[in-house]
Amino acid sequence: MDTDARGFKVALVQSELVNPPAGGLDALAVLEQAGWGAIQLPASDYPDEVADPLLEQAAEQAEEFVRNGYRLAVVGRRRGLDTALARYGLAEPQAIEPESAEELRDFLEQAAH
Amino acid sequence: MPGVAFVAHCLLNQNSKTHGGARCPGVYSPLVDELRTRGWRIEQMPCPELAFTGLHRFWAVREQLDTTAYRRHCRRLAGAVAGAIEVHVRRGDDVIVVGIEGSPSMGVHVTSSDPERGGRPEWPDGSAELSPGSGIFMDELVAELTARGIEAPRAMGISHQLPDHDPVAERAALATLMEG
Repeated sequence: MDTDARGFKVALVQSELVNPPAGGLDALAVLEQAGWGAIQLPASDYPDEVADPLLEQAAEQAEEFVRNGYRLAVVGRRRGLDTALARYGLAEPQAIEPESAEELRDFLEQAAH
Repeated sequence: MPGVAFVAHCLLNQNSKTHGGARCPGVYSPLVDELRTRGWRIEQMPCPELAFTGLHRFWAVREQLDTTAYRRHCRRLAGAVAGAIEVHVRRGDDVIVVGIEGSPSMGVHVTSSDPERGGRPEWPDGSAELSPGSGIFMDELVAELTARGIEAPRAMGISHQLPDHDPVAERAALATLMEG
């Protein structure tokens, strides 16, 4: 294959924004329009013994992107994320807890540069 | 009734692909749309190759990755995914798995295999490495679920890296999988 369409931009995304309730903010749709990929964080309804290894894996994968110069941002929140990221040397990526699609779109546009 | 789809990492993040394999900047929307239209919850699995061989990896076949160390890595990831699947199965949720056909790690019905491959990477395009079988991560995920007493979920793989890829047929296959 000769072409590669990747956007070099990755967001760690709160699970509830990947699977929003009816009428809720659909972060995945905004990310797609803005050309960002998503690393989904473990859902808040998972017990800690299930969520913690998933969180560890999300941080591990995020580190590989950052190490290679990709943009990284956090969309929403997840308990334990800061600690997991710190274990991989990723302190305080740009982050937002968006209240609207417009707010998220603006944030992603700024975070891309 | 909508269920939970555990999908390959690259479905939501094409940046994880081997160079040359990203179909779009980030979210591969056709199948995501199909899942969401039907109200299914999406759970993203990790990309086993990304964290092990990294973003600069070559395209590979099973034989190049099938080492004790890579199996151990896949078991670690699969254990975490199986834990999440178990939560949903115990709740009575319908669960499906969507992998990547042709992948040495995430293949469901088609993987890639070539016992001769190795050394300087100069094989031609179109080499006949696609072969029936599952990928290494999928092997380990099924083994982990079995160890937990959980039947392996229905599964399919995205076919966009196969030469006969048909997007319409792919969406139809996903719809059929969701319907059970």
